[in-house]
Amino acid sequence: MSTVTLFSVSYDLSTVIARGVASVFPQPIHGWILSSDVVLGFAILFFAIILLAASMINTIMLIWWERKLLGRFMDRRGAMHVGYAGLLQNFADGFKLFRKFTVRPREADSAGFYFGPTAYMATSLIIFGVLPISTGWNGGTLPLTLLLALVIFSFAPLFIFVSAWSSNNKYSLMGGMRSAAQMIAYEVPILLAVVAVVIVAGSFDLTTIVYEQQNYWFWGPLVVALIVFVAGMLAEMERIPFDLPEAEAELVEGWNTEYGGMLFAFFMLADYLRGLVGSFLVVLLFLGGWTLPTWVPSSLTSFPLAGIVIFMVKTYLVFGLFVWVRASLPRVRTDQLLRVGWNRMIPLSLLAIFLAAVLVTVKCLPLFGCVPSPGV
Amino acid sequence: MASEITAKEKPGENPILWVARPMATAARQFGKSLFRPSTIIYPYERLEDPKFREKVAVAPGKPIGVGQVWDNYRGVHALNISTCISCNLCAFSCPDLCIEMVTVPGGDPKHPKKCPQIDYGKCSYCGFCSDACPEGCLTMTTRYENSTSKRSEMVFSPQRMLEIYQHKLPMNPIRLARPANEDSILLEPPLCIGCNACARDCPTQCITMLDIPKPEAKPGEKVPKRIWKEPVVNDSDCVRCGTCISVCPKECLFWGTRK
Amino acid sequence: MWINMGPQHPMTHGLWNLRVKIDGETVIDVDPEMGFLHRGIEKISEDRHYNEVITLMDRCCYVAGLAWEHLYILSAEDALHVKPPQRAEYLRVLCDEFQRIGSHIMWYAAFVQDIGLMSPFLYGMRDRDLILDLFQSYTGARLTYEYLRVGGVRSDLPPGFTARAREVLDWLDARFGEYDQLCLGSDIFRKRCDNLGILKASDCVAHGVTGPMLRSAGMKRDLRKDRPYSVYRQLDFDVAVAEGADVTARYLVRMEEMRQSVRILRQVLDWLDQNPGPVLAENLPRWLGAPYAPIGREGYLLKRNYPKGVGFSSVEEPHGEAQAYVVNEGGEHPYRVKFRSPVFANISAARQYLVGYHVADIPPIMGSVDVCVGEVDR
Repeated sequence: MSTVTLFSVSYDLSTVIARGVASVFPQPIHGWILSSDVVLGFAILFFAIILLAASMINTIMLIWWERKLLGRFMDRRGAMHVGYAGLLQNFADGFKLFRKFTVRPREADSAGFYFGPTAYMATSLIIFGVLPISTGWNGGTLPLTLLLALVIFSFAPLFIFVSAWSSNNKYSLMGGMRSAAQMIAYEVPILLAVVAVVIVAGSFDLTTIVYEQQNYWFWGPLVVALIVFVAGMLAEMERIPFDLPEAEAELVEGWNTEYGGMLFAFFMLADYLRGLVGSFLVVLLFLGGWTLPTWVPSSLTSFPLAGIVIFMVKTYLVFGLFVWVRASLPRVRTDQLLRVGWNRMIPLSLLAIFLAAVLVTVKCLPLFGCVPSPGV
Repeated sequence: MASEITAKEKPGENPILWVARPMATAARQFGKSLFRPSTIIYPYERLEDPKFREKVAVAPGKPIGVGQVWDNYRGVHALNISTCISCNLCAFSCPDLCIEMVTVPGGDPKHPKKCPQIDYGKCSYCGFCSDACPEGCLTMTTRYENSTSKRSEMVFSPQRMLEIYQHKLPMNPIRLARPANEDSILLEPPLCIGCNACARDCPTQCITMLDIPKPEAKPGEKVPKRIWKEPVVNDSDCVRCGTCISVCPKECLFWGTRK
Repeated sequence: MWINMGPQHPMTHGLWNLRVKIDGETVIDVDPEMGFLHRGIEKISEDRHYNEVITLMDRCCYVAGLAWEHLYILSAEDALHVKPPQRAEYLRVLCDEFQRIGSHIMWYAAFVQDIGLMSPFLYGMRDRDLILDLFQSYTGARLTYEYLRVGGVRSDLPPGFTARAREVLDWLDARFGEYDQLCLGSDIFRKRCDNLGILKASDCVAHGVTGPMLRSAGMKRDLRKDRPYSVYRQLDFDVAVAEGADVTARYLVRMEEMRQSVRILRQVLDWLDQNPGPVLAENLPRWLGAPYAPIGREGYLLKRNYPKGVGFSSVEEPHGEAQAYVVNEGGEHPYRVKFRSPVFANISAARQYLVGYHVADIPPIMGSVDVCVGEVDR
């Protein structure tokens, strides 16, 4: 693995710029700019900007990926006009939304109306600060990154409900209610499924979980947990078949009915940010993160930034699975969704925990053709 | 009854299969359309071009549009001004009243030549006008794009339709079969005053004014004051436009079956 | 809480309003409101020649224009004492049955879109396009055909049509299985649609509900069999019936009807191959051949005494039983034209099959009714 990390890149960038800027100024200011505190401060700023830009670009490319894949599922091509094969189409769409006037209904509550989408967007972005993409390419080395990511991830129903309620629209309100009920119902199985992973990996730190998977990926032994996690993630991301909060046929656009322009773009982007986070988590927890199976010759993976490339390819493939589900399954009903959530998913996730515990105690992981790492 | 799937199976028996089946169908379609989707990139690739038509081949075997799909399309009109006889039939037959007869240069000053001008803002492309046209000079072409940013540009003058005609687009060959025995123009002789209006305005010149004998004055009756001529219609040349009926000042011409 | 689902709402598929009273997610009352798309077609018809009314019929129902043309033409011919040649009758049945498949595919596409199934929508539109190509090849248009005429049809089939049509039928036959895989074979679809929107046969009769909704309740009623018009008496086919009276049953009925239409079409194409002939009646008055009247001088044409008459027809339109009534007082124009729209009756009974279900059930139930607002409001 290369030793270049996200922080080293931003620190180097900060140093170079600081030198350039400092050369203009006379001594006292020159020295202050070059002092380690200032450089570090700017390094953190660049760090954040790089994260922000990377996550936004990836989100927009994810929308492109979904449009193209969905197009082929539907026997058509998807976006074709702006850029090569429509690569820049979503940037154009975003720019159009950005230019549009934001309309607020007169009866809507101003504070909640603007706070909701902004906070939804912000919390979705914060998660990227704790998700590792490759060795060293993460925000911090906290011991509980997985837990932190899931906690931030579960803020969303609150903000959706706030924005839905303050829109003062019946459809929005119903969509918001459904959204809150659905997300809360599916938090539980997701967390329980994650517990199964944590039992096997022995850590809440995502980097450690990935290192535990260097010899074998968890999807084989923990297939029950994987199913629960993917289904729960579909519900959390509000994608078909669980997209009832914005069920187009009956609720117009659900909780974002009243939003237009940039605020709508916030919702749209945040939805796909959460889609990206969901795919990241599936890759990190079950598909070995940025590692490849041991039988892949290491000469193939020795190019610079190989970890990031492997990780992103896996992420996009996982998202392709979500698109596939979207292309072939209809939407379920609220009561069915909640019944499945509470009656099926939670027992299944408890079963997953039990299986994980059995796997660890009986030490039968080698049965899956994998050599347990020393940690287990 | 209808399908093998329904009759026996009940949902929920085998959840994995019941989710996997639609997903497998979608995946099969994905595999098919991955290299050959059923769409074309419209403004750049057009179905009327055989090259692209074969590219999209939805059905196995033959491409879409075999036969006369394109030639039969009822699109924007083309007008051959030189053969137009100004019979007004197109304007009469238009259900939307979007055809107006406007003067075009080339007629004699007393009887200016009039050709149809079509307002495509109203036109419903029903094809009644080209069906009614006796000379085949107003035809529908396969041109299906007709969009402008101004309403005034939707009005196509005869000259503009002549330009379309000169592009030699494929013309719609379908023509309404003409009924075998059409109604003819009949005359109620006592009403006629021999004024020549019908013969003057007949677009095909099929009406000739023939002399009729001036009756002898009976005692106690006056001979009516009129020109002693009567129109005679040549049915084989007549296009049944009804112009003569509409210009007759005495309302003495009408439709009927010639005995 | 009353909510207005419409006039602009993704569920409505047109311009009408379904007022729904809900308690939580349960529907406790509904109140369908129609009339937003009223264009006065019946009144305009009184001011048009018999053939010119055909252009309005295509605007009645935008997915089954030819079926409505056939409805009007049958009635107008009845009123005008015109008899079309045999080949024209077969061509009309060809139009009808292709139109039925096209309409049902369109229904399928919209219906699956309502319950959130996205790709079959495009599959349906793609397969319907083949039928539209066929229509274009002999009527000259893809949506507003203006093909039928009083006394026959506008033109004969182009060469090579029947071979191409058979290919399309083979292709469609294979697609119906694919549709079933995506819908009936899907657990979520069945959970959404089974035992939903039940309207028993007795209620159907009480509210004048016809068409696939009636047949899905187990009642074997199809005007093509019960009161055969055109040449349906010579054709061999079965009436599609299903038990259950729910959304799944309506799906089954429509799917089976498409298969039966394919069966009818094969027979019609064989007949058309073997029996060339005229497609427009001889001895038509000129004013029926090509409508015209000098503007403002229509009075002159009334001098002739055309035979008076009253025409009535009822056909099995893709949505149900449509009826037309034409009064001919001897003039150029029909004196009165009246249509009976099946969808109007079908959605007027909404209270019977919507109350008690969930808000999320409204789109599949209304989707299974196959609403076409163009003919509801006329």
